[in-house]
Amino acid sequence: MTSPLSQITQPKISLSHVYKSFQGRKVLDDISLDIMPGESHIVIGLSGAGKSVLIKCILGLLKPDSGTILVNGENWLELSVDQRLKRMACIGMLFQGAALFDSMPVWENIAFVLLRQGMAKAEAVERAEEMLEWVGLPGIADKKPAELSGGMKKRVGLARAICHRPEIIFYDEPLAGLDPVMSDVITKLIKRLHERMHVTSLTIAHNMKLVDAFSDQVSMLYEGKIYQQLSAAELRLSTDPLLRQFIEGRAEGPIRFSSEATDKADLNADPSQSRKSQTIFNKERV
Amino acid sequence: MLMLQRIGAASERLAFAVGLYPLLLGKVLRRLHKPPWFFALIIRQCEMVGVQSLPVVLLTAVFTGMVMALQSWVAFHRFGAESMIATVVSLSILRELGPVLVGLMVAGRVGASFAAELGTMRVSEQIDALWTLSTDPVRYLIMPRLIAVILMMPLLVVLADAIGMLGGYAVSVHLLDQNPHTYIRNSYDYLQLIDLYSGLLKATVFGAIIGLVSCAEGYYCAGGAAGVGRATTRAVVISAMSILMADYMLTAWIFQ
Ligand SMILES: Nc1ncnc2c1ncn2[C@@H]1O[C@H](COP(=O)(O)OP(=O)(O)OP(=O)(O)O)[C@@H](O)[C@H]1O
Ligand SMILES: [Mg+2]
Repeated sequence: MTSPLSQITQPKISLSHVYKSFQGRKVLDDISLDIMPGESHIVIGLSGAGKSVLIKCILGLLKPDSGTILVNGENWLELSVDQRLKRMACIGMLFQGAALFDSMPVWENIAFVLLRQGMAKAEAVERAEEMLEWVGLPGIADKKPAELSGGMKKRVGLARAICHRPEIIFYDEPLAGLDPVMSDVITKLIKRLHERMHVTSLTIAHNMKLVDAFSDQVSMLYEGKIYQQLSAAELRLSTDPLLRQFIEGRAEGPIRFSSEATDKADLNADPSQSRKSQTIFNKERV
Repeated sequence: MLMLQRIGAASERLAFAVGLYPLLLGKVLRRLHKPPWFFALIIRQCEMVGVQSLPVVLLTAVFTGMVMALQSWVAFHRFGAESMIATVVSLSILRELGPVLVGLMVAGRVGASFAAELGTMRVSEQIDALWTLSTDPVRYLIMPRLIAVILMMPLLVVLADAIGMLGGYAVSVHLLDQNPHTYIRNSYDYLQLIDLYSGLLKATVFGAIIGLVSCAEGYYCAGGAAGVGRATTRAVVISAMSILMADYMLTAWIFQ
C-alpha cells in the first residue's frame, strides 16, 4: 500500500473497511486489503474465520454490511446485474465444495462459460478434455458429478474455474481433499497459471504448501480482522506467537477458538436486532 | 403473553416469507424484456412440467368425472331430473374441478420438484457458481420454470376437462343407462364459452402461483438438507392453499 508500485498501478482488488455480520455475529470486522495485478495473495486463518465469506463478498454473492470493494477499480454493487455479469467473464472461482452442476456431465460443467459464449459443442468438449488432462483426470468427461470422489470434484471445479482463461482467480482451498501427489500437481498448475498467464489470484489455504510454493503476500484472518499481512518469507521468519502457532499447527498458544470468539461477539451484538429469518431464508442473495 | 409472542413471531416469519414472492417476481419482470431468454431451457421445462404431468393429471380428471356423474345421479334421481346430470358434470368440471384439481396435482408434482431442485442448488452453492460463470440464475433457472408452468397449466386443464367429461359420459351412458344423444346434447347446449374461458383463466393464474411460490421457496432456501425439506413442504402447502383462495376470489369475480 505504501510501495511505489501501487502509486503507478491500480490494485485489481481493493477492499476498504468491509464489515459483514451474520445474526449480530461479526465475521468480517473492518477488512482492508489491496491485491495488485499479477499478485498471488493467500489468505490463511482458522476454520470459520470468515475466509469464504470474504471471497463471496468480493464476488458480490454476499453483500457487505458496509465498506467498499473495488474490482478493477469499479464498485460492482453499484452496477446493474447485466453489467456485473459481463464483468464476471474475467473471474474464475473454485468453490470450497466444488459446486458442480449435478444435472450436467463433467465436460459441460467445465465448458459452461464457453458454451454460453457460443462455442460449438465439439470444440467445447475438446477444450474440456484438455482441461481435465491438466488437472490429472483424463477420460472422465462424460461422467456425472455424482459419480466422482470429493477430490475429483474439486479438480473438476478447478478446471471449470480456469477454463475461460480468467484474469482474476479465487481458489477456496484448492488442495483440500487431495493426496500429496495430486497436491503437488495442482500446486504446479496454479503456479504455472501465474507465471505464464499473469493471473491475479486470491487463494484460501490451511496449510503452508501453497504459501511456500508461490505466494507473494499472505494475510492472516483472525477474529474478523486481518491480523497481519506479510510476504511468505517474512511469514516463515515471523516470531509472532500467533502466527507461529498457526504455522506449526499447535493446540497450545494464544489463538482463541472460534466458540470463545463467538461468545464475545454475541455479547457485543445489539440484542434489539432481531434474528429475523436469516437462517431460514437467504433473502439477500443474488 | 408467551402465546402472543409466539403468534407475533410466526406472523413476522410469514410476512417475511411472503415478501419473497414479490421480490422474486420483481426480479423476473425486470428481466423479461431483454434477452437471453434461454428458449431451449423453456422447452425442456415445458416437457417436464407438461408432458410428464399428463398421466397424473388425466387419471385425476377421469376419476373425478366419473365420480361426479355418480354423485349427481344420486341427487337428481331423487326428483327425477336425471337429464341435468350432463350439464352439471360438464359445468363443474370446466369451471371448477378441472383447474383446481389440476392445479393441486401440479403443485404437488411440479412445485415440489422446483423447490427441491432449486433449494439443493442453493445450499450446494450451485446458484452462486452460476453467478460466477457469468450466468444470471434468475434468467437461467427461474424464468424457464415460471414460463413453462404458466404455459402448461391451461393446456393440461383443457386435456383434463376433455377427459373428465368423457369419464362422466362413460359412467352416465354405460352404467346409469342415460341416452347418449341426449347426454351429449345436454352437455353441449347449456354450456357457454365463458365456462371454458373462466377455467383457463384460473389455470393460468394457478400456474403463476405454483411457479412463483415454489421457485421463490427453493431459490431463497437456506439451512442445508433440512432447509430444502422445509422449502419443499412450504412450496406445496402454500401453493395449494393459495390456489384454493385464489379460486374463490376468481370465481366471485367472474360471477359478478
Ligand atoms: N450464510 C450464512 N449464514 C450465517 N452464517 C454464516 C453464513 N455463511 C457463513 N457464516 C458464518 O460465518 C463464519 C465464517 O464462515 P466461512 O465459511 O467464511 O469460514 P471459513 O473461514 O471459510 O472456514 P473454513 O476454513 O472452515 O472453510 C462462520 O462462523 C459461519 O458460521
Ligand atoms: Mg471456507
